[in-house]
Amino acid sequence: MSDPDHVLVRRLRDRDERAFRELIDRERDRVYRITFRMLGNRAEAEDVAQEVFIAVFKTIDSFRDEAKLSTWLYRVAVNHCKNRIKYLARRHDRDRDELDESAHTSGVNGSIGAPLPQAPDKQLQGAQMEKLMQEAIANLDEDQRIVVVLRDVEDLSIEEICEITGLPDGTVKSRLHRARLVLRKKLQRHVGEQHE
Amino acid sequence: MSEAEDDIDDAIVAKVSDYLDGLLSGAERDEVAKKIETDPAWKQTHEDMRETRNHLSGLQKAHAPATFTNDVTDTIHKRSQGRFFGRKTLGDRVPFNAILIIAIIALAAVGYLMWASQTGSLKVDKKHEAPTEPAKAPVKLP
Repeated sequence: MSDPDHVLVRRLRDRDERAFRELIDRERDRVYRITFRMLGNRAEAEDVAQEVFIAVFKTIDSFRDEAKLSTWLYRVAVNHCKNRIKYLARRHDRDRDELDESAHTSGVNGSIGAPLPQAPDKQLQGAQMEKLMQEAIANLDEDQRIVVVLRDVEDLSIEEICEITGLPDGTVKSRLHRARLVLRKKLQRHVGEQHE
Repeated sequence: MSEAEDDIDDAIVAKVSDYLDGLLSGAERDEVAKKIETDPAWKQTHEDMRETRNHLSGLQKAHAPATFTNDVTDTIHKRSQGRFFGRKTLGDRVPFNAILIIAIIALAAVGYLMWASQTGSLKVDKKHEAPTEPAKAPVKLP
């Protein structure tokens, strides 16, 4: 663990509110993106991201100093997403209706980074691709979805993903290959449909 | 696509994935690079995988709501009824360690001033000490 992290953890354990705010400010976007890409729903993502930080604050004493604070935080996020997916599945709540509109909107609450100015047809294409990719991610197996989101969307290393998921290197890679294969096929079908 | 073709495809995808992730050793990497150059199936897989990865990494970067940090801390305050974060005085936590160090330094400074002062009570000034009177011889009474 790096020195600034070490100091931050000590302050967190000391229940220093400013330290908690620092951690949230530093990691909130990434945690939110992970939960959003995993759950595909903005409101659920925000709710789970909040619960992730609350859980981290409650259990900071159990954090082992040899681990990286961010890795531990993402592990908590992934576990919360898994639990929420199970919960939503039980409730048959599979509402991902925001995806079609949120892809190219921006606002204060739950905003997506402002897109670069593009020609309308390019914007539409981009929005369609965003929707297609998010749908494709949502349709992946939960285990494959985790590795794809962490590796290809969030650009974390295989080593970090192994730490976050607690899986061996080979399992992570094979899930990643399978997920990419599924996504590639989905993309090919989409391109094929467009050419017809 | 047949099952056998699928297996071959899987194997190519696995290798190309590792190649794109930079996980292959020197010789293996060269071998895959050569296959991508010469074999149409490998070339196609490489292009597809690269495109897929580009689309994934190009997904828009969502941001948490602006009120997120306050929302989380407010929730913690509410659920813990204000007991979670350290006790506050004058808007922030009392830095007991810093106060202790400052108090020790202040005490040491006061002690030194008292010792160094001419009128201080801690310094024993031998010059001004009253000379001890020699013992007088016993007076003989008539």
